[in-house]
Formats: sequence, structure tokens, C-alpha cells
Amino acid sequence: MPLKISRRGFLKGSALTAGALSLGTLGALDFRTWAKTNAAAPVRRVPTICNGCGNRCGLFAYVKNGRIWRIEGNPEANGNRGVLCPKGHGYLHDLYNPNRIRSPLKRVDGKFQPISWEQAYQEIAQKINLILMENGPESVFWVNYPQPNHAYALRFMHSLGSPHYFTHGSTCYTARNAAWNHTVGKLPSNDLANSRYILVIGRNPAGGVDLGQVKDIVRARENGAKLIVVDPRHSETAILADEWLPIKPGTDLALLLAMINVMVAERLYDARFVKENTVGFEQLEDEIINYPPQWAEKVCDIPAATIVRITREICRAKPHALIHRGYHGAIGAQYLNSFQTARALAIANALLGNINRKGGIYFAQSAGLGELQPTHPIPAGPAGPKADGTGIPGRYPLGSYGDGISHAIPELALRGILKCGFVYHHNPLRTNPNPKRVIAGYKKLDLLVVIDPVLSETASIAHYVLPASFYLETDEAVDTKHSGKRAQVSIQQKAIEPLFDSRSGFQIICDLAKHLGSARFFNFTLDEANELRLKPLGASLKELRAKGVLAVGPSWKEGIGKLETPSGKVEIASATLEGLGYPAIPRWQEPLVSPDPKDLHAFRLIHGKQAMHTHAMTANQPYLMAISRRYDLIRLWINRSRAEKLSLKDGDMVEIKSLVGEGKIRVKLTEGLHPSCVWLPSGYGVFSKHLTTAYDQGLSYNDFLPTLFDPTVGHAMSSEVIVQVRKV
Amino acid sequence: MARYGMVIDETKCVGCYACRVACQNQNNLAEDEAYNYLEEREFGQFPLFTRVFLPVQCQHCDNPPCVTVCPTGASHKRKDGIVLVTEKDCIGCKYCIAACPYHVRIIRKQGYVEKCRFCVEFVEEGGKPACMTTCMTGVRLFGDLDDPASEIAQYIARNRHRLRPYKGEMNTKPRIFYRKA
Repeated sequence: MPLKISRRGFLKGSALTAGALSLGTLGALDFRTWAKTNAAAPVRRVPTICNGCGNRCGLFAYVKNGRIWRIEGNPEANGNRGVLCPKGHGYLHDLYNPNRIRSPLKRVDGKFQPISWEQAYQEIAQKINLILMENGPESVFWVNYPQPNHAYALRFMHSLGSPHYFTHGSTCYTARNAAWNHTVGKLPSNDLANSRYILVIGRNPAGGVDLGQVKDIVRARENGAKLIVVDPRHSETAILADEWLPIKPGTDLALLLAMINVMVAERLYDARFVKENTVGFEQLEDEIINYPPQWAEKVCDIPAATIVRITREICRAKPHALIHRGYHGAIGAQYLNSFQTARALAIANALLGNINRKGGIYFAQSAGLGELQPTHPIPAGPAGPKADGTGIPGRYPLGSYGDGISHAIPELALRGILKCGFVYHHNPLRTNPNPKRVIAGYKKLDLLVVIDPVLSETASIAHYVLPASFYLETDEAVDTKHSGKRAQVSIQQKAIEPLFDSRSGFQIICDLAKHLGSARFFNFTLDEANELRLKPLGASLKELRAKGVLAVGPSWKEGIGKLETPSGKVEIASATLEGLGYPAIPRWQEPLVSPDPKDLHAFRLIHGKQAMHTHAMTANQPYLMAISRRYDLIRLWINRSRAEKLSLKDGDMVEIKSLVGEGKIRVKLTEGLHPSCVWLPSGYGVFSKHLTTAYDQGLSYNDFLPTLFDPTVGHAMSSEVIVQVRKV
Repeated sequence: MARYGMVIDETKCVGCYACRVACQNQNNLAEDEAYNYLEEREFGQFPLFTRVFLPVQCQHCDNPPCVTVCPTGASHKRKDGIVLVTEKDCIGCKYCIAACPYHVRIIRKQGYVEKCRFCVEFVEEGGKPACMTTCMTGVRLFGDLDDPASEIAQYIARNRHRLRPYKGEMNTKPRIFYRKA
């Protein structure tokens, strides 16, 4: 392995100045000594955006003697408003992680050899040209966890003639998005700060961190708002709540149907809003009588009286009341009924009359970035559909064509439909369900190119690995992640020179395209592209560079206009869905699998984020992993009374087994979890030996999940798995 | 002369540990060195259950046992109330570590004892401690207890009955006041 390098040797090879080098390993130097020694050294402040997760929080990086010292939240950035989470602070140290790749790598006889960028590009291009000739452009794909440069990755695929650009969406949020799209026309945001009553179902912004949302919740609570958290686990958000309602996992739909039942039966809904702005209410009235709270109590374990009470409370606070629009938990990509649950959630909000209202659900302002035409032509889109079946009646008609179904890639590779893939800022071997199957699929590819700063699980089996620069080392494409009540543009900027022979994602995309004969679609520099993107917004790149984020365009206004649905209104009943053979009105649907209540060892395996980890990406970061170890966080949560029936004590080792995987882990006994499930924190279970801090620490829920595709959008149904838990 | 102090609202801590890592960066600490920690406590039985995180760091006591026991005077209390360790005077005997009832002092890899310094370099320039400014729920308030216009003084005036010192029975007279759940 060419990557083994001591911390001292690594620092010597880095971009430190001679003065700093004489101090030895800066990492172990006390700040005061460092500050004293470097008193004359100026501190440089560079505005940029974090890459510790997908929120891309605005921050200032403080650079001293060529080294990142610390970071601080940018108060102007709408998404985080001056604060940062542990991942942001910890992840910056990955810049100096000795596991980083130092040059392009080629796998020869199972071992990686360093090669030059030019050799890598030429060999990749040669192999792709052969694949294109033999199998056509549809056999090539790109999959990424979207970065601000995703438009260029899409452009690259289209320039080759391939429709196969994928995101991680099918393992994350596609059911939620489809449901909101089919109800109000697009995915809305939450006006939490101005809400009087906040009901959060399955979302945990204090753990799967959304800093702006948590700040808003705290502000609303200080102004007297009530916060109710419905979650099988006592989540980090539940800590802030007035009430925690532990629901039986997979049954959130029953709760929502019963709440709608109460709203209709007791005439608590916003009748004027319903009359003026919705279609299909009569059909809802007819069907919803099937779901009284007494029925829901038996299904979801929340008492009927509680369901009636919270429904009355939230309706009293309407329209400045909301049910959180949700993310992954419950409605994103978890259960067979996630799509219907998300539909019910959207409809319940509409009955509160809160759509695009202050304190309710609102449509965030969007920054319409400029295109590169006419100066830079855009390739014609590919003719054919995606091989995964998104958007095709009879397959996954409600699936997101834009996201694709990325956890279908291994299946499509095994069937010989996909032959060549690029994986960028993504690690499907660890983050997709059923890793044995994923490994088999990705190994079947004739060519796998991975763009990553480290040898992740996926990079470890690639034919070529291209070292992506760390976010603090490069500029990137302009982003719009911080848009809210006003649209915002933000930018990732270089804070220090790259430590190794790495390149930015933007540059790698352009370089690859140029080597594959698509230079005419990539005849621009990053600055030119960014200028053109900002042009219609009237924002200057110079000002954006100075501030890191800029507000653009008009402010949000309350009120509902014509929606982007077929009827132009909120579709309580959807003719589109009915036409495709789905119920027009949400109906109760059992989860795909449920644990046998008579089997003491059977549990549903659910998962969620801890605030200090993002997917499997941060487990290799020593500062973040030190928290997991110090506070014993790498454990499986189990309800105390269930655990005692298995003679388990806190900290005991158990074996977990499903149809597709098994593993051993220690347990945390708690009263804060529904007895029908066990909860595994996501973010652990790294099995790449090249990630020395994270390797072999804990388990991932993906180890136990079969490969599943829900029949509406094709999502992964990542909580539809029953495991057997036994003491070892 | 300012008299610095802090309020920690333990009803707001969600246990994210951002304060730990922000402090580590600020003070250039290694990954296993920390000047603050969280104590998690669970209450009740399913389904009537809740939990609380208690953030703990140097309490900058007005009656600091660490200063009393320090044989060299390295541990000292400034006029503004901040308790500091003079690195060059510390002989690493760890007496202060044993004496501190809050278990917030660590021996650094370089051999001397250190702990939360209320980010004194920032504070002297009008800034706030890093643990406070990074917090998503605003758990901490820091400022001059003697300045009636300061946010912290006003907060204390409004919430006096809800505030308590941590381990007050030790008679350490902490400068950190906890708002209890």
C-alpha cells in the first residue's frame, strides 16, 4: 500500500511553511504556544460551505500558517445562521487524515498503483469508448450524493448519450417527494419559527442535524409553541418536546388517518381553505370514516384519547400549526406504506389550511440559476428512459426520473444492462441495502471509476480511483441550498492549497468529458460558469466570494396561488394516482413485514442518525469517533422490558440475524424505545480496511436489509426488516 | 472590572457534542482531550420517559478547590473570575485533578494540566466562548454578571428561582448557573 504514512511524515509533505515545520507536529501543539509562536502570523478568514453533510452550512474557515485552525458558522447563511454541528467541526480534520489518497490509483492484480492523472484519463477514456461501441451509451452511469456541481455531472452523462445519472434518493427521500409532488405540486418547507403548534412525525432535526430548523423550533417554543414528537425512539428532538409519543414503527399512517378522521368528524378543519383550494374532499369524507382513533390505537399504540386531544390542539392553533414535512424517517424510504403515509401527512396539513401560510407549510423561494447557453451549448437529452423503470407505468410510475433508483444499479449490472460506472461523493457498498448483493453487482462492471478523497468500500473495488480534493482545498460550483424565506446562493471556496495531487469534482467532470470527446460542452472555466449562473440573479461572483452566501430575489409572501398539480389545487383525491391504479385517497396499508409478537427474539430493525455522524462518511474521523467511543454510542438500542425477557443486561453482546446478514454488537437498554423494535445508529459498520479509524466499529442496518423496491417509487423500504436478537 | 459567568440551560441540550469539538478546535486539543463533557440522565418508564443532558466544564468557582490545593500557584483565579492554569508553573502533580469535584481537568499530552479557559483570548477581545457560539439550541449564555445591561445578568434576574449551581453542596461557589429541567 502506498498510503501508509505517519502523521509526522504527512505533515512534512504538506503545504506547511518552514516556520511551522520547525514546531514539529502542529496537531499536538497547545493553542497558546502556537498562538504565541505565531503571534505575527495573520489569521485569514475564508467564507465557504461545509461538506460534513448535505446541508452545506455556511462557515468561515480560519487559516493560520497554511493550516486550518477552526471554523465558525456564517450568521448570514439561512440554513445554519451562525451555528455549526459537531460534524462540521470534526470533519475539517479529515483534510489532514493520513488515510487520504495522494494520487490517482489503478488496480492491478488486486493492488492499487499510483498513476498520473493523464494516464488515468486516457485509460478510462479508452475503456469507455470500447464499452460505448459494444453496449451503447445507456450502459454507462454516474451516481453521486449530489454536490453543487451535479448539473455538470448530468451534462457529462447527457454528452455521452446516457440517461443514467443517479442520486442516493431511493434510499433516502423519494416516497416523501413523490407524495408532496402529487398533493401540492412540489416539496415544501416548514415555517417552524412562526408556528404555534409543531407535530414532528419520524423526523429528528436535532439528530439528523438541520441547524436552522432546530433554531426555529427553539424560537417557536420560547414564543409559546407546543412541540409534539412522534417517534418509536426518544429522539434528540424529543428532548426538546412537550410530549413524546412512541409510535409502533411502520404505523404512522394509522395515526395520520385517525387525525384526519377526527378533523373531519368534529369539523375542525379549515373549511374555507378546503373549499377554495383543494379537490376531492368529499371523497375523503366518505373514506376516512373507516379510521376512527379507536381503530388507530390498536394499530399504532398511541391512545385514542391522545390522538383526539392532539388533533383538537393542532386544529385550535391552525393555520399557524404544522406537521413537519418530513425526511427519511417514516415517510422517506422506509416502509411499504411510506408513500401513502406522506400523502396523508400532506393532506392533514392542507386540512389545517396552512399551505404557504405563516407558521405552516410554505414554498421556499428558489434561486433560478442561469444556464450556460447560448455561449456554451447543452447536449441533447438522451432519447430513452432509465433502465431502472422510473416514471414508467407498470414499473415505478411515481419514481423520480431525476434521482433514478440507485440501489437498483447492482441488479442492472448483474443483468448486464449497466457496464461502466462513475461513483462520486457516494459509497453504495456501505450505504445501499444488502452489501453482498451490492458488491456482486459493482464487481460485475467492466469499468468502475470512483472519485473520493479516501479508499471507501466502493473505492476499494474500483478499477480506477481519482482523488477528489477536500472541500477546504477547492472552489466549486455555486449552490442554492440555503434558500428559505429568501433565496440564497452560496459558494465553496479554497481555504488552503491542496495537500496532494487531488482535483475538484468540477474539474474531474470536465477533464473526463474532454477526454471522451465532449469538450464542446465543457468549454468554460469554473469562474465563467459561476458568473453565468449568477447572472440572472443580479449577483456578482466577487461579492459572493467575499461573503460566502448572498440573499437574492424577492422575499416570500403568504398566500396560495395556482399550484403545480394537474388541478392547480391541493389534490386531496388524486386522479393521477387513481389512473395509475393507486388509491386516490390514502388508505391504510400494512407494513410489508411485522415481527411476530409471540417470538421473544423477533424485532423490527430501525435506524437513525446520531448528531456526530453522516451516513458512513464521518466514522473515519478521529474527533467524531472519539465521541462515539467515549460515550459508548456504538450500541444497539433495545427496550428494557424486552431485553430483560432475553436475560440481557446493559452492555451485553448480542447477535443480530436477518435473512441476508448477521452481526454482533453490544446493547443499550432503554425505556426510550418502542418494544417492537431495536434501533441501530447509522454511520458505523465500515468494512474498508483502508479507513483505519472506522474499520470494524459497529454495524450498519444495511447489513441486514434485503434488496427491496417499493411498488410506487422503487424506494429501498429500509425499515422493512425483521431481525432475530440473541444473547451471545 | 468585569465579573464573568455563564448560564447553562440543561433543558435545551440535545446531546450533539458540537461544544466538545468546537472547543477542541479552538484550543488545539487532540481528539481524546476535551474540556467539557455531557452527563446523560434518563427518567421514567416507557412510554412516559424523558432524558436530559447536563453539559459540564470548569465552573470557574469563586471558592476553587483546584487553586487551594495547587502547590505552585499555577492554578489561579483572575480578578475577572476566570480560573486559569499557568502552564510554565504547572508541575503536573494532578493534585488539582483530584480536588476538582467536577472532573473537568485533564493532563495534556505535554505534561501540564489544563481545562476550560472560558476562551479568554476571545473574551478579552469582546467575543464569546466557542462552546456557546456553536450551539444550535443556545444552551449557554456568557457575559459580565456585574453589567446589568448584559444578556446574562438580565437572564439571571428573570430566572433566579430556576437557577442552581451544580454540586452546590461542595461550597465551591461556581460561576456557572444551571437552569434545571
